[in-house]
Amino acid sequence: MSNPAFLLSATIFLPTLGALFLMVFDKKAEDAMRNFALVITAVTFGLTLLILQQFDRSEGGIQMAVSIPWVPTWNINYQLGVDGLSLPLVLLTGLISMLSCLASWSIKTKVRGFLMLFLILETGMMGVFLALDFFLFYVFWEVMLLPMYFLIGVWGGPRREYAAIKFFLYTLFGSVLMLIAMLMFYFNSASSEIAGNESIFDLLKLAEIAKVGGFDATMQIFAFILLFIGFAIKLPSFPVHTWLPDAHVEAPTPISMILAGVLLKMGGYGILRIAMPLCPYGTQYAAYALVALGVFSIVYGAFAAMAQTDFKRLVAYSSVSHMGYVLVGMAVWKISETGATENLNFWQLGMAGAMFQMIGHGISSAGMFFMVGVIYDRVHHRDLNKFGGLMQLMPLYSGLAVIIFFAGLGLPGLCGFIGEVFVVLSIWSYSPILAIITASAVILTAGYILWTIQRVYLGPEYKGPHKEEIVPITSRETTVAASLAVLAVLLGIFPYQLVLNLMDASIAQLTVSLSEGYAAVQETVTAVTQLSR
Amino acid sequence: MMSPEFYSEVGNLLMWLLTAAWLLPLLGFVIEIFGGYWSDRKSKTPAYLAVGCIGTGFLLSLVALLTWVDAADLNLWHFGDTESAAVAHHEADAAEAGHEDDHSHSHDHADHSNAHGEHGDAHHDGGHHGGHESHANDPFKTAFAGTFYRLGKYGSLDITLDWYIDGLTVAMFAMVTLIATCIHIFAIGYMSDELTERYEDHFVHTEDGGHFHRVGRFYRFFAYLSLFCFAMLGLVLAGNIFQVFIFWELVGVCSYLLIGFYVERKTASTAANKAFIMNRVGDFGFLIGLMILWTWFGVFQFAETNPETVGSTGLFQMVRTADGELETQGEGREKVVVLQAQQGIHKDGGNPHPTIPYFLLVAAGLGIFGGCIGKSAQFPLQTWLPDAMEGPTPVSALVHSATMVAAGVYLVGRFYPMFTPEVLLVIAYTGCITLFVGATIAVVATDIKKVLAYSTISQLGYMMLALGVGGWLAGLFHLITHAFFKSLMFLCSGSVIHGCHHEQEMTKMGGLAKKMPITCWTMFVGVVAISGLAIPFLGIPKLGAIAFSGYHSKDAIVAAGMTFSSLNPIHSLLFFVPLITAGITAFYMFRMWFMTFFGKPKDQHVYDHAHESPRVMTAPLLILAFFAMFCAIGGENGPLAQLILTTEPVHVAEGAMEAGHIGLNLPGHHQIHEFHASAGAVALLVAFGGTILAYLFYGLGIVDTGAMQKQFGGVHEFLREKWMFDELYEWMWVRPTLVVATWAAAFDRCVLDRFLGFLAGMVVAISSWDRRFDEAVVDRLVNAVGEATSSVGRSLRYVQTGRLRQYVMFIAVSVVMLFFVLFAYLPR
Repeated sequence: MSNPAFLLSATIFLPTLGALFLMVFDKKAEDAMRNFALVITAVTFGLTLLILQQFDRSEGGIQMAVSIPWVPTWNINYQLGVDGLSLPLVLLTGLISMLSCLASWSIKTKVRGFLMLFLILETGMMGVFLALDFFLFYVFWEVMLLPMYFLIGVWGGPRREYAAIKFFLYTLFGSVLMLIAMLMFYFNSASSEIAGNESIFDLLKLAEIAKVGGFDATMQIFAFILLFIGFAIKLPSFPVHTWLPDAHVEAPTPISMILAGVLLKMGGYGILRIAMPLCPYGTQYAAYALVALGVFSIVYGAFAAMAQTDFKRLVAYSSVSHMGYVLVGMAVWKISETGATENLNFWQLGMAGAMFQMIGHGISSAGMFFMVGVIYDRVHHRDLNKFGGLMQLMPLYSGLAVIIFFAGLGLPGLCGFIGEVFVVLSIWSYSPILAIITASAVILTAGYILWTIQRVYLGPEYKGPHKEEIVPITSRETTVAASLAVLAVLLGIFPYQLVLNLMDASIAQLTVSLSEGYAAVQETVTAVTQLSR
Repeated sequence: MMSPEFYSEVGNLLMWLLTAAWLLPLLGFVIEIFGGYWSDRKSKTPAYLAVGCIGTGFLLSLVALLTWVDAADLNLWHFGDTESAAVAHHEADAAEAGHEDDHSHSHDHADHSNAHGEHGDAHHDGGHHGGHESHANDPFKTAFAGTFYRLGKYGSLDITLDWYIDGLTVAMFAMVTLIATCIHIFAIGYMSDELTERYEDHFVHTEDGGHFHRVGRFYRFFAYLSLFCFAMLGLVLAGNIFQVFIFWELVGVCSYLLIGFYVERKTASTAANKAFIMNRVGDFGFLIGLMILWTWFGVFQFAETNPETVGSTGLFQMVRTADGELETQGEGREKVVVLQAQQGIHKDGGNPHPTIPYFLLVAAGLGIFGGCIGKSAQFPLQTWLPDAMEGPTPVSALVHSATMVAAGVYLVGRFYPMFTPEVLLVIAYTGCITLFVGATIAVVATDIKKVLAYSTISQLGYMMLALGVGGWLAGLFHLITHAFFKSLMFLCSGSVIHGCHHEQEMTKMGGLAKKMPITCWTMFVGVVAISGLAIPFLGIPKLGAIAFSGYHSKDAIVAAGMTFSSLNPIHSLLFFVPLITAGITAFYMFRMWFMTFFGKPKDQHVYDHAHESPRVMTAPLLILAFFAMFCAIGGENGPLAQLILTTEPVHVAEGAMEAGHIGLNLPGHHQIHEFHASAGAVALLVAFGGTILAYLFYGLGIVDTGAMQKQFGGVHEFLREKWMFDELYEWMWVRPTLVVATWAAAFDRCVLDRFLGFLAGMVVAISSWDRRFDEAVVDRLVNAVGEATSSVGRSLRYVQTGRLRQYVMFIAVSVVMLFFVLFAYLPR
């Protein structure tokens, strides 16, 4: 296992192998197939832990790099590796996939097809986080898209076709923009010596070119906008978030968990891995808009969540609100008039907050969707006004749910807090007004989460249909919920020891190279403007 | 000065003692919540465990208190001094003369003066060098601080969990753990009807009209209490302002859980939500304060006190010089405060003379105080506290009177060096409004717990006022004494409620003194204490006035207010309002006492079933009554006040003239001392007035209170409706928020999704046009071409005859024609 090429490839492709192997199962052996899929996801998670064990925390660059020519004619490589930005997300993917596989027992129809698509989806997700070749990244991005389409479209709720197509078109639109940007970089890279005067897809080399100012200002701005729209759809950020509530509401519970827990993080990861390093100038150019958009998403998502009556829709909008912090934290990059980066440490703090928020939200939102799923499996409705009294009927379930919802609320000691507060602390030095607006969201968040808890869990009696179906939480469900709740607590108490120190070196390196990349282009821009005078 | 070795030894010992006291309740919580869930509903084990944890915590805190006092070389017993200790600061500062006088006094006093003398020397040294780094630790030499572990580090920005132990910390620890232990014991009796598999809740009706039934939740109550104790002690132990915020939120959520303990009651869960959300409104301000401080200072630590790490500093050492002055530059909007030492973001060089704009320092102070407004239920966020009485009475006693709500006052006291005079004035006026509003509503409240709740609001207002007018000691002194007598009164009310089978309306009580004598007379102790009554003209030598704890602390507050208003005549409201309210306080407290325990029983049924509470409940009453009587013994020269005084920020003792932008005069110890006697006399007079009035109205019943209510119907109604705050907020905040929320959701549905639908529709329309175009134009064109080709082919078929001579003729004709054409058109 010391061979990184094998380890990383195994992490990516083991689920696909498992999916293929599922075909030999007897059609009626549903439980056997579920157990098999669970084992596969568990082993995959084990592999990610193995990556963690071999990971050097003090190293900011790419580790366990693998590069094998794939399509040599076009310089496409099978290039993988991890650093502090991708490793936490790889771990999260492994974990959430395993837990949502455990939550898949509620899928009763076409089990084999579901599990196969599920495992292929995991391959796609792992690939996105591990790929370091733009083309490979794009391929995995699309690989992840198709199973998702079918998982929502076949196993979803009543409006599943609408939701699946909406999800598909939104994401496809984003990936088309990404494709354009990818080709822009591909053809522009040929003029650089770093690329050996060849067109390349290598993200690391492209980033190096950008760092020395190899891409001109206009191109960076355009490319950044294209990439950003592509990733913002996934994040999701206002105004391209409306696929999310529909997809979540219609998706079956395990898929909602994956969607919220992992897929949304691809947007944030894409910005950090591709959009920002490849277009430092473009990033800085758009920074204020990014922060403002993030802040608006936070507040808007919170307001929209408050008005929902569908339990899952509420959780979906809370995701919009929480992922706003990710956008804000990444973009609080302040520069002086001369183009030098100011308050670098605050930016690093914000970026760490954004990364932590992705992990924390991955746990809390997956947990929230699972909790909705547990009660939905029993009473088959999600109308917030027709719940109540669950604390009496399902005390353990309600207790775990309250912990997870409080994690979503951003209560100190739970995983939602650190990400939010780091972002909030970093933003005043960037813009006091936006900082105040961001801080005000703590009131709204408390409002809608507490109101939800009150309507669903508190009160004397359950008010909706199928009361007789309400049985205490099963041990399988308890395992999923308790794992997430325990993680929420642990991450809240030891954020630095468990997560933050994994990524600090990479964040430092990223921010510094972005600053250099910006300064390099800024010099030429200033020179040109002075010449034209 | 302690040697570094001794310092770190003591610091470590204290840290371990208090950390153990802090974490024990957490351990208790974990065992209780899981053990209780799986075990018997009728077991009292969780309660014993909780009592054991917090009781051990009390013992540890006591050891820590003694250790600290010993290490700080402090003598807390100053009775018999001709000069009050309060002046000692001043005295030591002013001259060496005080030392000569010492010979005539006891040896103890000499020690004490020496301690202060050193303090004074430090002032002088520090003063000359203006915040020179080597003196940064001097004012904090009896404080111990250190770090637990790290939450994140970015360059010089370091976020950690710290501990900070000084006189205030150990006093708060002892107070919190002692009161919590008493309340835990009381709750064993009070919550005993939860020890059942089938608890009947008379306040909740099911749809079929019956009462609501559920399993008992005895274990859960104690688990929540333990969790609260953990959070509260963490708040007190916290060594940086960010950590305070963490535990600030945690006590908030414990309060939420405890207010909403009866989850099936709609009123309870709504009250819990209200409490949490209004606290979050305050925390919004807190966060803004944190952001400003973090951005401009780059540290959160209060102070770095270790003598070995001279130069490392915390917020207090950065913002003020060693003698407690703010060093400012510039005027008006350009005014900046010079930061004293390089730390945090300024540590790695950069700006050699870091500053923070003065208005931002004010804003940060106001922001932090915003958090205190929420937590301590100050105007305008006071409305959650009365609703919080939905929780079981022990909760009201512990969380909503003695500890958590006092955390706001504690934080103002702790964070005092960061507050500019402008902020202090805001604090004073907030307290002033709050104490008046609270007291007026308490006068008309008839629910025994609501009276106490409004009284708590009012008393917290007193503390804030005291801190705001420069009476730092008075505010925190009152915090401790109030904690004892208010928790006592709440427990007494709990005993009454328990004895009357959950009847809380005083209009149905009366004459209970015979039925529950212990409750009645312990309550009397509390009432006398809060009213600030004393026996006039009589004083025990070496002990001062014969009075309970509340007299001493309230006296100190009124004295501070009086001094402040004499120095700043324009703010004399800050003296008269609390003075008058002192009378109102005595009135409503005695009103409550008379209505509950004396007169004719108003509801025979309640009276017949009333009984004294079991010993497990009365014993804590007696303990608390003892402390309510004697905890402040000796007044400001007594051990408690002296203990707190050791923590007083250095700039408070001397006061300040023309301070800040607004030119506020802050009184020093010496000035307050001058007003002390007269203030005490006036306050006592007013308190007696209130008491006598209450006796006439409710004790003797010579005035028909019903008629008076009719007479002042409008006012009465206004007060009964709690000054209409709830209605106002409903219209100002709650509804608009919900409307905006609906808009946001509708915007998604009606604008974004419709736009998307429009786009999709456009695409579909374009494709259908495309199809039509395909069919009508492209296809037809293609068909036409095909048609033409095939028709040409068809017609050419006739030409294709197979006869060779005909072909040759075609070729010949064609060639001739080609030549003709070429010759006709090609250029020559």
